[in-house]
Amino acid sequence: MPRPSTSLAALLTAAAALLPAAQTRAADSDEADTHASYRFSEYDEDALHGVVVGDPRRYRVLSQQLDIDTKLDGGAWGLKLDATHEVMSGSSPWYVTADANGRPVQVLSGATIRDRRNALSVSLTQNPGTSANTTYTASYSKENDYRATALGIERSQPLSAATTLGYGGSFSHDVIKPFQAQDYGRIERATKNTASVFSSLAWVLDRDSVLQAGVQINLSHGYLSDPYKLFVYGKFLTAERRPDQHVEAAGLVRYRRAYAQIDAALHLDYRYAQDSWGLTSHTVEASWYQGLGHGWRLVPGLRWYSQSAARFYAPFLAAPGGQRFYSSDYRLGTFGAFSTSINVRKAIGRWEFSLGAERYHSARGLALGGGGGTVPALVDFTRAWAGLDFGFD
Amino acid sequence: MDLHRYAFSSMGCPCAIQLEADDESVARTAAARAQAEVARLDEKYSHYRSDNWLARLCASAGSGRRVELDEEAANLVDFAAALHAQSAGRFDVTAGALTKLWDLQSGRIPAQAQIDAALARSGWHRVEWQRPYLCLPVAGMCIDFGGVVKEYAADRAAQICRKNGIAHGIVDLGGDLAAIGAHADGSAWLAGIKSPRNPADVHASIELDRGGLATSGDYERVMIVDGRRYSHIVDARTGWPMQSFASVSVLADSCLVAGAASTLAMLFGVERGADYLRELGLPWLAIDADGRTRGSIEAATT
Repeated sequence: MPRPSTSLAALLTAAAALLPAAQTRAADSDEADTHASYRFSEYDEDALHGVVVGDPRRYRVLSQQLDIDTKLDGGAWGLKLDATHEVMSGSSPWYVTADANGRPVQVLSGATIRDRRNALSVSLTQNPGTSANTTYTASYSKENDYRATALGIERSQPLSAATTLGYGGSFSHDVIKPFQAQDYGRIERATKNTASVFSSLAWVLDRDSVLQAGVQINLSHGYLSDPYKLFVYGKFLTAERRPDQHVEAAGLVRYRRAYAQIDAALHLDYRYAQDSWGLTSHTVEASWYQGLGHGWRLVPGLRWYSQSAARFYAPFLAAPGGQRFYSSDYRLGTFGAFSTSINVRKAIGRWEFSLGAERYHSARGLALGGGGGTVPALVDFTRAWAGLDFGFD
Repeated sequence: MDLHRYAFSSMGCPCAIQLEADDESVARTAAARAQAEVARLDEKYSHYRSDNWLARLCASAGSGRRVELDEEAANLVDFAAALHAQSAGRFDVTAGALTKLWDLQSGRIPAQAQIDAALARSGWHRVEWQRPYLCLPVAGMCIDFGGVVKEYAADRAAQICRKNGIAHGIVDLGGDLAAIGAHADGSAWLAGIKSPRNPADVHASIELDRGGLATSGDYERVMIVDGRRYSHIVDARTGWPMQSFASVSVLADSCLVAGAASTLAMLFGVERGADYLRELGLPWLAIDADGRTRGSIEAATT
């Protein structure tokens, strides 16, 4: 295994205080001090079927990610660098209009979008591998039409032998500069700020299981609309408009259980979120980690997601009713989604190879209660990835 | 380079330090300093003494007074707390009353009422530990470092030998081994694992050139009543001895960690103990009560 098991890490940490020299010797051992990992992934949205205008081929993202994880100052600090390079192309839902029978027709932008995203994230962890640690993160992401700068801090601290408190916060400042702003009458430059705080408690229930419960609050302020999306408002075609404030509160529960006798582990997650736009969502996720011997590991996973629409979501408004906010972005409509994934890993000495794929299907009928109005352009996608991890001293 | 062997007795066990050095006076000085360190730890942490800080700590139990621990003792308590958490309470540094109760020389099983009384005087979860202050809540409760201090002493002795110019040698405190470094010719030390049926025989030998090797076993202190074996490996949650391996040996970067792993594996019992050892990923070798071996160490069995 490329990393020490959590039980061993706990023993080594507790021993390190007594035998400071033992930790230096641990660095000479088989356990690698530095990990480098590379991952390539392809995200491919299905072409839209049904009533559409424009190029039905949707978004495709090719992504490469390089992570380097190392220890500094004899293990007192952990440093993680994460670089991402992505190329996006394809058309995206532009606006929804009505056909002769009043049914919604999705109009797609031409295949004009072609952008690259480069991102770098640096995080420093004090006392990595111990239960009392602090992580400081700074990240920067740049596309031709979007820049994001974020800072975060996260702390974990044991309250007793079996209880650990985690808390933290982050702040992000984003700048949006849409393409062809003048040609299409888009906003030329806009900003938004997002602050998040979270807190969680983890309980070690017994040797094999851990339960974690947490809450998170995200506050956004600024330009929160999508500058590329238009909206049919009576006889006008206008830029969509969302409120310039957004508050989301989320609660989550995570359960982890190891089945050591069959070298397996169960991960169960549930997340509930509610926001000031009237959107409520549920996410249920389960994955099973199964060791198969000889360094093989198989991880099948299932995820179900359901959300109710934002108050100002509508495919279009035939007769304007004086609404201040309106959007036809399918991501604000009522829908549910089901995704299945599989990941295969194989460790060979200090190398670990992984291959994985995910299939995501969304539909109105998958939402809790299955209700709500029509949401055109709901997305289905396939994601596939391959990666390798290498540990060295 | 000559091999020099220094034997002594400490912590109730036969001990030996073997060193390879060109100069015998360097070896002798290093061994003497290492032996002094083992003696210091024995004196500081032995609960068989009535004149040390540990005796005062135990005397304070139930009085509501808290005792301030020094850095080293606090680190040992933290380590013991980590073992308590990892073993889900099976390992307990406050279970000294239970250890004493299962006095295996007597050949008698204690009455359940006696076990209950001893359980009432133990339980790490009831201790108030706010480093560096320790407060024992119940009269009669005490701290027993027996499960960790010998392994720690082996590591300390090896460290002291290295500081005193020794690169090749091994410390053996009653079967808990800490390597100072491989033989001068680069070959590993061979550690013999005793046979559970006949402790005078070597059942298997394990190579050790760095870190530590610790063995937990029940065959040196076991009593048989009505055909049933009772070991001195007592589960602190129930107060009863565990049916477990005859012995478990673990290799790690330190004898301290090796000892923790072998002790906890014994406390988990045979099946769960083997799972635990596999999860840890450290090299291990276990011997069943009927002499079968298993584990990830390819030992030369004899």
